[in-house]
Amino acid sequence: MNEFFHMGGFGAYIWSAMGVAALLMVLEPMTLMYRRRAVIAQIKRTKRLEERRTNNQKN
Amino acid sequence: MKINWFKYSAPMNFYPLAGKLIPIFWIAAILFITLGLYWGFFKTADVLSDQKQYYRIIYVHVASAWMAMWLYAVMVAWAMIGLVFNTRLSFMMASATAITGTVMTVIALATGAIWGKTSWGTWWDWDPKLTSFLILLFVYIGYIALQSAIDDVRRSDKASALLALVGLALVPIIYYAVNCPDPNECASLHQESSLERVESNILIAMFVTTFGFWMYSFATILMRVRIIILERERKTSWVSKLKEFNG
Repeated sequence: MNEFFHMGGFGAYIWSAMGVAALLMVLEPMTLMYRRRAVIAQIKRTKRLEERRTNNQKN
Repeated sequence: MKINWFKYSAPMNFYPLAGKLIPIFWIAAILFITLGLYWGFFKTADVLSDQKQYYRIIYVHVASAWMAMWLYAVMVAWAMIGLVFNTRLSFMMASATAITGTVMTVIALATGAIWGKTSWGTWWDWDPKLTSFLILLFVYIGYIALQSAIDDVRRSDKASALLALVGLALVPIIYYAVNCPDPNECASLHQESSLERVESNILIAMFVTTFGFWMYSFATILMRVRIIILERERKTSWVSKLKEFNG
């Protein structure tokens, strides 16, 4: 198992290359999930404000 | 089965369709990347000697470099469809493709630098392929910057589409940058992309991983285009009727 991570002395290079790819490909969807949540929250907020405004006009 | 493609060019119809497709692309991405890397690390044990182990970086390096170039072409295609037919969704697709393309370019450059350190002894060299790939990164960043610099969405879409089209000239340059016929005339460190010289097990692993990266790109681009649709169409009645905002 150790030999597998050692990779003939190139382990540090190989695993850091894999690590960079993995890191970016996990961060990208995470930021997308965060951005989607933020957009939905914002649209909900403006929707609530508009509803309140139309209710006020009725009264 | 006849699919009405025009129906799905409307954001209102595309939004739910994309939502259904995203999990499928995620499953495919995870499946193919895992399979490709498993094959690449465990099925090629006797192919590489200890001195050549660094070669395994090829799986993520080639996959991301191919996707970086391919996504650029895809981005330009969407931008051109947008310019010709003036369809809103095409511009949104182009803009959603840009960031995933940038991520792929960064992965290709970073893994390439690490590979370069092991095989050439240097992280970076102003070799034709490396240099043109770095310019590709700058063009991607320029496209994103230009789009966010212009407030009017329609104008920013058109301006950045033109920038993307001009940058398309880079893709064949990158592709042919290493296929240098006479080493005395053009020096390049980066090896030729001659697939026939690569051992078949490594080739299989490389293609499967690339396919996985492609599925990943579909998944993230669709996730991003759904966000862009919400941002741009927030004032329409179909958006306010979505279940995301009612419940």
